[in-house]
Amino acid sequence: MKYITTIGDKEFQVEILDDNRVALDGQVYEVDFATISRQPVFSLLVDGKSYEAYIYEGDDGWEVLLQGTRYPVQVVDEREHRLRAAFGRGAVQSGDFHLKAPMPGMVVAVPVAEGQAVEEGDVLLILESMKMQNELKSPRAGTVSRVRVTTGDNVERGQTLLSVV
Amino acid sequence: MFKKVLIANRGEIAVRILRACRELGLETVAVFSEADRQALHVRYADEAYLLGPAPSRDSYLRGDKIIEIAKKSGAGAIHPGYGFLAERSDFAQAVLDAGLAFIGPKPSAIAAMGDKAVARATVTAAGVPVVPGTEGEGALSDDELLRLAPEIGFPLLIKATAGGGGKGMRAVRNLEEMPELLTAARREAEAAFGDGNVYLEKLVEGARHIEIQILADEFGHVVHLGERECSLQRRHQKLLEESPSPFVGDDEELRQRMGAVAVRAAQAVDYVNAGTIEFLVDRDKNFYFLEMNTRLQVEHPVTEAVTGVDIVKEQIRIARGRSLNIKQEDIRMDGWAIECRINAEDPYNNFMPSTGEIAHSLLPTGPGVRVDTGVYPGFVVSPYYDSLISKLIVYGSTRAEAILRMRRALEEYRIVGVRTNIPFHQNIIDSHRFMAGQFDTQFVEQRFSMEAADRGRETLPEIAALMATLVAHQQTERSAHIIQRNERDTSNWKWIGRWERIHR
Repeated sequence: MKYITTIGDKEFQVEILDDNRVALDGQVYEVDFATISRQPVFSLLVDGKSYEAYIYEGDDGWEVLLQGTRYPVQVVDEREHRLRAAFGRGAVQSGDFHLKAPMPGMVVAVPVAEGQAVEEGDVLLILESMKMQNELKSPRAGTVSRVRVTTGDNVERGQTLLSVV
Repeated sequence: MFKKVLIANRGEIAVRILRACRELGLETVAVFSEADRQALHVRYADEAYLLGPAPSRDSYLRGDKIIEIAKKSGAGAIHPGYGFLAERSDFAQAVLDAGLAFIGPKPSAIAAMGDKAVARATVTAAGVPVVPGTEGEGALSDDELLRLAPEIGFPLLIKATAGGGGKGMRAVRNLEEMPELLTAARREAEAAFGDGNVYLEKLVEGARHIEIQILADEFGHVVHLGERECSLQRRHQKLLEESPSPFVGDDEELRQRMGAVAVRAAQAVDYVNAGTIEFLVDRDKNFYFLEMNTRLQVEHPVTEAVTGVDIVKEQIRIARGRSLNIKQEDIRMDGWAIECRINAEDPYNNFMPSTGEIAHSLLPTGPGVRVDTGVYPGFVVSPYYDSLISKLIVYGSTRAEAILRMRRALEEYRIVGVRTNIPFHQNIIDSHRFMAGQFDTQFVEQRFSMEAADRGRETLPEIAALMATLVAHQQTERSAHIIQRNERDTSNWKWIGRWERIHR
């Protein structure tokens, strides 16, 4: 199986040959890859060198924490890569943004109102959790719609709080 | 003299105090909220009693219930730890009124130092320098504060009168942005302390936050245990502390001068037990009294490491009416200690708190490493309490050795289930400014970013790419297996039926 793996502006061709052999940009490596004590900690032995990393799957690809450095990584298989190339980058930039609670907590303030125009980086809501007030910001410009919570509400992790369209 | 101690706290500090009691041969009583039934302090204590529901105000802030439990269980003393009821003079008084010992200062000293206006007036009278501000002038309105601000001069700080821990605190650069910041500070102070009053204080730029640990017994003996450097903060929350301070370094004259002033500040309020005097120190080594914390500090282990004094055990001895058995001239700071506060926060996502079950945890060990923690695999980090889950403390004979040891220990530390700020500490430890000891209280917020730090270091993108691809591949393989099995489970006739229905 062939994959196209991207970190920032660097692109790697990775081919999984079998359980112990991987080709990175054409160069074949002997690898021993294992999950340590349940995910997300993984261990990789490659040509005698030992690496350990946390690997998380996010909404936007993979996140690798390796020796104190974080790498945002995109992995697509060859077929998917060709499809994407054929249909352009499939720029799905628009679409509604639904602000979800990143953790359980209490709504301290909602400084925006329905119908209000917001810029990228504007504070949409202040959520208190673990005795800290956290400002949740808009990732893009748009109009606030459907404010589903009010000040004083307790919310669960992942609950949709409001939307920006 | 008491033989049983109730610990009115939770988390790592409750465990820390339990350990001191054990070493002194004292029996222990834990209290817990419904969210903490499985917490470590409950498991380690000789006795444990339920306080109430998870929110602090229904559990760890219920002073009345705590005293009731102490009496019921036969505990003769209460240790409040830090936070919660630790700096509430009314609670300390209630404990004494119930005929129990309070392991901490007298209620009058807590009250004097807790009201910042009184604290400033008291230490000023004792000849201790303070930072210019409106602190002594009571509760002022926004209009009055806006009028006084230019007299103090910008930049300045808005601080909560009832405050502490950075809640309700804002830095103001000019008069224009001040009204909005006042509103925000008052809102936060109101939410955190139920008191929206604020005051102004001159912001000392390039300031370092250096504090002096003191110990005082009932017989008027007061000693200081040298300084702690606490300048690495984010939103006025300390993140990394060390002792000694690289800024004080081998300036023994400055250390002794600060120590003497700290002792004088403590004596001014007739202080008994362990306490900390916080100073703001400017570039020219002028130092100003900031506040006195009338309790055990989170960062006390760094002082323990370099002085060899067990501060919690000393607190208990003092509360048992013993005289201090150390003299000032016997106290030596030897070697170097660093503490990293490990918080359940995601440093790559604006330090957003992270909650969940600790699925796995591997603690760093080996020479010169100490971990104080209240969590273990299977424990659920809840949103009810603060995000400190562990403190990693290292000791080395020199600062360089301590830094390298901390780097090694951070790399060993594995916590799975919640996000932690360990990568943040790794980046700080590796930054040139930290290594050179050149940082002030603004360093983390103004001159440090995770992205820049990540860019600056030697990276292994090939390895990261390889590992991510292998994980993605495993996942694809696994889902492919599931689909194949389902296909086999469904007969061909059923497939045809479905296909026809779709295309009808």
